[in-house]
Amino acid sequence: MPQHTIKRFDEELDKLKELVLSMGGLVERAIGHAVKSMLDQDEALAKKTIERDKAINALEVQCDEMTRDILVRRQPAAGDLRFIMGIIKVVTDLERMGDLSAGIAEGTLRSLEHPPKEFSNLSTMGKKVQKQVNRTLNAFSRGDTELAMRVIEKDERIDVLYKRMYRELLTYMIEDPRDITASIILSNVAKNLERISDHATNISEMLIYIERGHDIRHVDHEAAAKLLSGEEI
Amino acid sequence: MNTSKVNIKDLKLWYGESEALHGIDIEFSEKRVTALIGPSGCGKSTLLRCLNRMNDRIPGCRIEGQILLDGDDIYAPEVDVVQLRTHVGMVFQKPNPFPKSIYENVAYAPRIHGLAGSGSDMDELVETALRRASIWKEVKDKLHTPGTALSGGQQQRLCIARTIAVQPNVILMDEPCSALDPIATAKIEELIDELKREFTIIMVTHSMQQAARISDQTAFFYMGDLIEFGETGTIFTQPEKQQTEDYITGRFG
Ligand SMILES: Nc1ncnc2c1ncn2[C@@H]1O[C@H](COP(=O)(O)OP(=O)(O)OP(=O)(O)O)[C@@H](O)[C@H]1O
Ligand SMILES: [Mg+2]
Repeated sequence: MPQHTIKRFDEELDKLKELVLSMGGLVERAIGHAVKSMLDQDEALAKKTIERDKAINALEVQCDEMTRDILVRRQPAAGDLRFIMGIIKVVTDLERMGDLSAGIAEGTLRSLEHPPKEFSNLSTMGKKVQKQVNRTLNAFSRGDTELAMRVIEKDERIDVLYKRMYRELLTYMIEDPRDITASIILSNVAKNLERISDHATNISEMLIYIERGHDIRHVDHEAAAKLLSGEEI
Repeated sequence: MNTSKVNIKDLKLWYGESEALHGIDIEFSEKRVTALIGPSGCGKSTLLRCLNRMNDRIPGCRIEGQILLDGDDIYAPEVDVVQLRTHVGMVFQKPNPFPKSIYENVAYAPRIHGLAGSGSDMDELVETALRRASIWKEVKDKLHTPGTALSGGQQQRLCIARTIAVQPNVILMDEPCSALDPIATAKIEELIDELKREFTIIMVTHSMQQAARISDQTAFFYMGDLIEFGETGTIFTQPEKQQTEDYITGRFG
């Protein structure tokens, strides 16, 4: 795309995108640390993860300020407008993902007194969710709608993993009531991961809107894929 | 449903040897506001002037193609241009009231066209036009002072009153707010929004924000060609053509 006649506008948009991506980087790391703190029962790492969520929140505020500034000064249209609208949503998703990661770390702290005997699929699920987040950020960084579509499609697998893990934890609880607290904590952790993946999906949907102008939220995958390939639905 | 008010078919226009419009096809819907946008020199004013045959007076200017107003060719030999201009009124960039009283500015054209009989009929016509142009309250106590003594924004609304006094179908506006401050501009925009209930409005503007604020449809021109024409909401969020996108996002030249 050609540059704006007003070069500062380009610089501002680039800077905003960079800021959002660095916020995304922090979120990605927070998810990894939060899950690791649980698996290793690492109190220090859990506390650090909770503390670092403040940095994510601060970045959210900074992004919002930049967005507001661009809106009032530049009055963006067309692709620029979709980009700004997308950023507003993406930043909110990232902030929630940060909160959910901090929530996982809080689960670790609570679990120290009720150590789980087993972590079920937590390790796998954690890695897969982190991968989803990594993909959605890469898609966002490169404007890659195909990759974004893949994130959206893969979200179902995370849901399946979550349900499987939840059922497994339920059987533990039934087998031995002393495991109830630990299992509840773990199932909440799994729920947080599942929701993080949902937010990653939202970001991919927003990216498709930014790049193509199609709002595919609340549209099923097949219909979305058709829209993107230019077919009518 | 949108009924077509003005229908332009393959319109070409030459100023002497140089072709300024390269075959324009566009339909303007009744009682809607259409904004014409595009870089300087792309032919917006030229197109607008074709619609009430103001180009007729320019030496060396000739056109090909058709312009239909309610289905009738406005360039047909039997058309009376003066009559045509009562149907298709024009508001210019610089407010240009006659050097006469406010009252006379509005009454002048209706009198020529015999639109009002007695003196009291004319008073009523003048008042109605001034009210519809949202300037009545500001001028009702000084109807016999010169129109040129009003502020720029007031003069522009007076010119709009003058235009609508003869009950046109279509109002053409060529950058009607470019000489006005933001408040006077807002008043004109509010007025346009009101006027579109009765009139078909086609306006040229250089302000993307203004086009986005007040028009229902937007047409983007570039170097004598119509590049894209569509609903304003679509043009400003998701234009189809890259050239349109580049222009409205400020990425042009
Ligand atoms: N009277 C004229 N005689 C010869 N050429 C003309 C005349 N009026 C306009 N042109 C030419 O026709 C082309 C279109 O001009 P026009 O005034 O319609 O552009 P515009 O889109 O209204 O530009 P602006 O935004 O600057 O008002 C330009 O190249 C211009 O030089
Ligand atoms: Mg012009």
